[in-house]
Amino acid sequence: MALTGIQIYKLLPKTNCGECGVPTCLAFAMNLAAGKAELSACPYVTEDAKAELTEASAPPIRVVEIGAGTKKLKIGGETVLFRHEKTFVNAPGIAVLVTDEMGNEEVAGRIDRFKRLEYERIGLTLRADLVAIKSVSGDAGRFEALISKAKNETDAGIILMTEDPCVMETGLKVCGDRRPLIYAATRENIEGMATLTKKYKCPLVVKGKDLDEVAELTKKLTDDGLKDLVIDSGARSIRNAFEDQIVVRRGAIQKKYRPLGFPTIVLPCEMTDDLMQETLIASVFVAKYGGIILLSDLQGHSLFPLLLARMNIYTDPQRPMATSPGIYEIGGPNEDSPVLVTCNFSLTYFIVSGEIEASRVPAWLLVADTEGLSVLTAWAAGKFVGDAVGISLKKCGIMEKVRHKKVIIPGYAAAISGDLEEELGDWEVMVGPRDAAHIPAYLKEWSA
Amino acid sequence: MSKIICSAAIRGAHKIVQRAEAEYQAAMEKWGPDQEIGFPNTAYYLPIIYGILGIGVKKLKDAKDVLDRCRSLLPDMVAEHVWLPYLAPALEAGMATFFAEEIIEAIRYLESPDYYTRTEGPADGNIWLGAADDVILRKRGVEFVDGTAPGFAAILGAPPTKEIAVQLAQELQEKNLYVFMCSDHEGRKMSELLVEEGVQIGWPTRLVSFGPEYTAAVFAMGFATRVAMSFGGIKPGDFTGNLIYNKDRVFAFAMPLGTVTDEWYANAAGAINWSFPTIADTPIPEILPTGICTYEHVVSNVPYDQLVSKAIEVRGLKVTVSEVPVPVSFGPAFEGERVRKDDLYLECGGPKSQAVEWVTTRDMDEVEDGKIELFGPDVDDVEEGSRLPLAIVCEFAGRKMEEDFEPILERQIHHFVNHTQGLMHIGQRDITWIRMSKAGRAKGLKLKHIGSVLHAKFHQEFGAIFDKVQIKLYTEQEKVRESVEEAKRSYEYRDARIEGMTDETTEMFYSCTLCQSFAPSHVCIISPERTGLCGAYNWMDCKASYEINATGPNQPVEKGECLDPKLGQWKGCNEFIYKASRGAIDHYSLYSLMHDPMTACGCFECVAAVLPICNGVMTVDRDYAGMTPCGMKFTTLAGTIGGGLSTPGFMGHSKYNITQKKWISADGGIKRLVWMPKSLKEEIGHRLKESSERVGIPELLDMIADETVGISEEEILPFLEEKGHPALSMDPILE
Amino acid sequence: MSFEIPTISYNGVIRQITVGKEPNCVTVGGESCYPFYLFEGAMPHLPRIAMEVYDAPPEDWPQAALEPFADVVHDPAAWAQKCVGSYGAEMIALQLASTDPNAQDTPAEKAVEVTKKVAAAINVPLIVWGSGNLEKDKEVLRMISERCAEETLLLGPVEEGSYKALGAASLAYQHTIAASTPIDVNLAKQLNILLGNLGVPDDRIIIDPTVGALGYGLEFCYSVMERDRMAALTQEDERLQFPIVCNLGKEVWKIKETRLSEEEAPLLGDPLKRGVLLEAMTALLFLLAGGDIVIMRHPDAIQLVRGLMNELMGEGV
Repeated sequence: MALTGIQIYKLLPKTNCGECGVPTCLAFAMNLAAGKAELSACPYVTEDAKAELTEASAPPIRVVEIGAGTKKLKIGGETVLFRHEKTFVNAPGIAVLVTDEMGNEEVAGRIDRFKRLEYERIGLTLRADLVAIKSVSGDAGRFEALISKAKNETDAGIILMTEDPCVMETGLKVCGDRRPLIYAATRENIEGMATLTKKYKCPLVVKGKDLDEVAELTKKLTDDGLKDLVIDSGARSIRNAFEDQIVVRRGAIQKKYRPLGFPTIVLPCEMTDDLMQETLIASVFVAKYGGIILLSDLQGHSLFPLLLARMNIYTDPQRPMATSPGIYEIGGPNEDSPVLVTCNFSLTYFIVSGEIEASRVPAWLLVADTEGLSVLTAWAAGKFVGDAVGISLKKCGIMEKVRHKKVIIPGYAAAISGDLEEELGDWEVMVGPRDAAHIPAYLKEWSA
Repeated sequence: MSKIICSAAIRGAHKIVQRAEAEYQAAMEKWGPDQEIGFPNTAYYLPIIYGILGIGVKKLKDAKDVLDRCRSLLPDMVAEHVWLPYLAPALEAGMATFFAEEIIEAIRYLESPDYYTRTEGPADGNIWLGAADDVILRKRGVEFVDGTAPGFAAILGAPPTKEIAVQLAQELQEKNLYVFMCSDHEGRKMSELLVEEGVQIGWPTRLVSFGPEYTAAVFAMGFATRVAMSFGGIKPGDFTGNLIYNKDRVFAFAMPLGTVTDEWYANAAGAINWSFPTIADTPIPEILPTGICTYEHVVSNVPYDQLVSKAIEVRGLKVTVSEVPVPVSFGPAFEGERVRKDDLYLECGGPKSQAVEWVTTRDMDEVEDGKIELFGPDVDDVEEGSRLPLAIVCEFAGRKMEEDFEPILERQIHHFVNHTQGLMHIGQRDITWIRMSKAGRAKGLKLKHIGSVLHAKFHQEFGAIFDKVQIKLYTEQEKVRESVEEAKRSYEYRDARIEGMTDETTEMFYSCTLCQSFAPSHVCIISPERTGLCGAYNWMDCKASYEINATGPNQPVEKGECLDPKLGQWKGCNEFIYKASRGAIDHYSLYSLMHDPMTACGCFECVAAVLPICNGVMTVDRDYAGMTPCGMKFTTLAGTIGGGLSTPGFMGHSKYNITQKKWISADGGIKRLVWMPKSLKEEIGHRLKESSERVGIPELLDMIADETVGISEEEILPFLEEKGHPALSMDPILE
Repeated sequence: MSFEIPTISYNGVIRQITVGKEPNCVTVGGESCYPFYLFEGAMPHLPRIAMEVYDAPPEDWPQAALEPFADVVHDPAAWAQKCVGSYGAEMIALQLASTDPNAQDTPAEKAVEVTKKVAAAINVPLIVWGSGNLEKDKEVLRMISERCAEETLLLGPVEEGSYKALGAASLAYQHTIAASTPIDVNLAKQLNILLGNLGVPDDRIIIDPTVGALGYGLEFCYSVMERDRMAALTQEDERLQFPIVCNLGKEVWKIKETRLSEEEAPLLGDPLKRGVLLEAMTALLFLLAGGDIVIMRHPDAIQLVRGLMNELMGEGV
């Protein structure tokens, strides 16, 4: 059972020194309880307290970091089986595979797409995270060359794939400073891989023929002092891999079974030859507990949906996603186009902008800052009220962009129309439909 | 039950059964036992016999058993000197009546195939439609289920004049009821009167002329019986199921117009089995005690202009109003509409005149539903820019109406008036302020329309908790003044009543799970002394909400055995919380911040937090954006404790709750309160003062720090020490 | 295994609901475990994919979605036949989009006519979906319910505002109904209670949780469906033990990203494959959350999802 904020507070120095970054020990304790702070931020905590807190706060699934610098990827650290219970914390890393048997062009294409395919969405940058470099030939030189190329061309995290410790060491010499993920230790090579892992201080994948073997190997490695492990259950059929992911997650969370308390890696690239199908398989493991998902290739048409799936599943269900406030042009509006206003709850924004687009009526959409709340909630919380919306309208510059003086507000916010008119002076406030689906019909009728 | 009625019903039943037996005998001789009989195009045979007894009468010989059953059901004739019988024998006689009448009508179909039209409306000069076939049953029965036609009036006989006939029919149509007509009074028949007046009759107009004889009443009862089988999944022969279905779902009643014969009594007694009461225009004995029917069984001597409303009341039928009858637009889109000085035509209340709105409860017979009266000048009687005083008095009556609903209904007036285009409403109670715009007036809006709006909307949204409402509007100064006085007494009484309620004396708390869409494990328990943490729902609101919508988010929670009176934990509450949070939370305290506090959704008005150094508690409301002594702003606190968690040391609550006796009472109550924002202190100041006096520290208000004293524990502690705040000398808040 | 697989104590089962009339009916539901958790329970019926057919030629579909049906969009019956004949559709979902008063406002009589034609043209169960306009749906679906009494349809959406009218129609004419509520467990439960109170038998109710597309609110519906299933299977919440239908095709193909050409958005790649994958992924995620019937549009997307479902069911292991 995790400690409550008050229980943690009792173990802290209670000095309210503020050196941890928040003003009080109580606030710091609440952050610790929520997993939003690290105990190391407190310079004055006693050793005894530290021991007690570390034990109590260790997540059932270890957080493993791969890579270095700004592109460092964190996986694991999950505490629930279903996202609505709290939230899924660390989104799975998406990796693309290059091998030393691919032609130069194939490799270059993959690395190029890896770098290029990047999408902005409600303030987030969506992209793949890792390049997996696999030695198929067993030739250390070719492996080394490929790693150098990848390392020079991207600053992404790297997965090194070979079960030969000698070849692996060649690779680690090249990119060990980037804290690559070593793939993989098996029953056969475990000593060699363990040695390398210690030497280069990198995370390590443990691959077994089944979960029993995995658990046996991770136990051995943790006894040996290695903690940053990642699990490959060895399953390559979708059904078995799916089941293994669930067993690992449940074992760690429900049973606190430490040998399985690590993030996982899944390999859709080894489950099919068809990229469409492969990407779809990947989405299964986005939903069901994959830590790293390794793909044979990335294409715009395949990566984008997968990234959306990952964004959706890993959204904090208790915190609405927000679009950045401001004025949005839809369909090339001009000075006679209608002006609509809505909240910055991202779902509302998507739906409203989608419907405006579907109407084919060019329009201006003002997204007011409602702290990510929906129209009704924001209205109830006093964040979508006449003066606030009025000020946004005045500040965003729309008044200089249109000739008319009309603004359309959401039907659910009809109550603010009077206040808003007062705030805006000679502008006319029109009450739009309640349901976004009726926006197209409304706009087609609208005239300035 | 009235002995006279019972005797008559039993007499009537004997006559009818005898008649059926005689006709049956004759038919057997003429057609033979294997002759097929039945009503046209139906899978339900003779439906009452099939539904109640489970016997499918296909051939003449099948009716034999049924007639034997009639005989065995028939009680002996009632002798003069016997005080009995009571209800049961009469009901059985009524049942036998219907079986016998179905056989009589089936033989009629055999003997005179063209007696009834077998169509949806009159055909070839014949107005008698006879039994509804299954196509009509399906099509029309759907309306009984979905409420577009709540039920029917079975009219026997006829009123004295054509005018009354037309008026009755129209009134029943307006209530969306079907009118099933049969029999005659002194040769006059309702259907014929209507036809003579040019009224279109038939299934499409819901004026159904079943047959000229009293026996055609079985077509109405058979229809009801088939609805239960067809739509209620009631099996043939499951008579209890069938009768209960009809009681709960088919709002029908018998309306004998004219001299009530023994045969009519027999039919009326039969209908009581289906819980259909009888409303008569003649002075027959009444059966007022309730039992089988929802309310009274027989109500008599009702004037024609009150027949329909009386029938509706006695059968417990709810009025539906689909349109808001005003000459301007109506809807939530107009809620924010302003009527400014330049647009103003008429103003009531506000700074310069008096206005009041008041909801009160009256007896059933004191209220005529839909009656709207204006005493004094209306808008057309005054100049542009005028002022009038105004009193809006809404008088409610209903068998489920409680005085506790008054404030809830009263608060709606604000919304309903505001939803009317051209009207602006501000304030409530005796500080009401209404403005009507020139544009509204130009469209024909009158003050009296406020009454129409309220009547329609009250029925639409709150029809579940009352039956009738009439509205009186006063615009004469003296009358308004009187209303204000009366309303004020009522407000005081209400306030005192709410204040006086305690958790100890209330067995039923209410839940609120409105917020589970974003806080899945959150369950609010709302007791009289712990109002909802959002501030929007108190115990009374939840109670009303449950009455209005029994499957909604506010459910009654029997608090059950008290597990800890100090912390405020009850067995029933905990069980409910466990279930409603779907296993996520198994208990919490209503009165504690430190020990298993209530979960918080995110909608709370305030967050209270422990301040360990000050040995006290602070609270901060949503409107205060600054830093607080616990080191977290409101938004940070909200993010930390929201989402359906129980977080010891922190608690969401409403502003009002702070001054309720049970607020964190397990932790020391209001004496623990050491810090709150200045604006909040001012907002609830007068109530806070009363609470301070209640706990014996009248100067407590001045001891509570705010942001002008400091926004950290270190800053406020000296202040608390200087003032001698009681929290400092209480038990350690952190154990 | 050296440790025991931690199990969930399931104590409920999803009701089995049969849609359509003999011999062309299909049965869905019956699950005794979370979706595809076959190591600890059973899914006696594979989820079904229904293919969309529209009552009027679509005006604003992206080319990728239109192309497979370009030859049949003017004839709903032929369209439905093509879905069944060429693409192996297991169910057809007739979307009465044109009845929307904000669209063509096609009268109810016309909708009845189309429904009859489509029903006559196919030998698989038919889903009939209204425009979502409450008042119009009441009128249209009610009339269809009555006039197409001989078909056993799945009618949706049945909402809180229309449940009496449409529930009664279901009672009278034995149609199954999709009880539709806006993304909320409690509302879903409440509507099911209300339908029960009205007398609609439990074997005629399917839950429509209201769904959004990938990237457009999918996560809300995904979690609500997971919670529906959790309540139904592990918390004895008897009023949620119904199969779930997800009407997602129309949601996916209206989002911006299914409409952009490769020239407009080079990073989004091939529009056909992109659209297909967006739809397939949306469907698959809903199946993982508890969907029993998914209503889809593109044949390629359907084929992908079907293939993956078979893999998850373990065929071919």
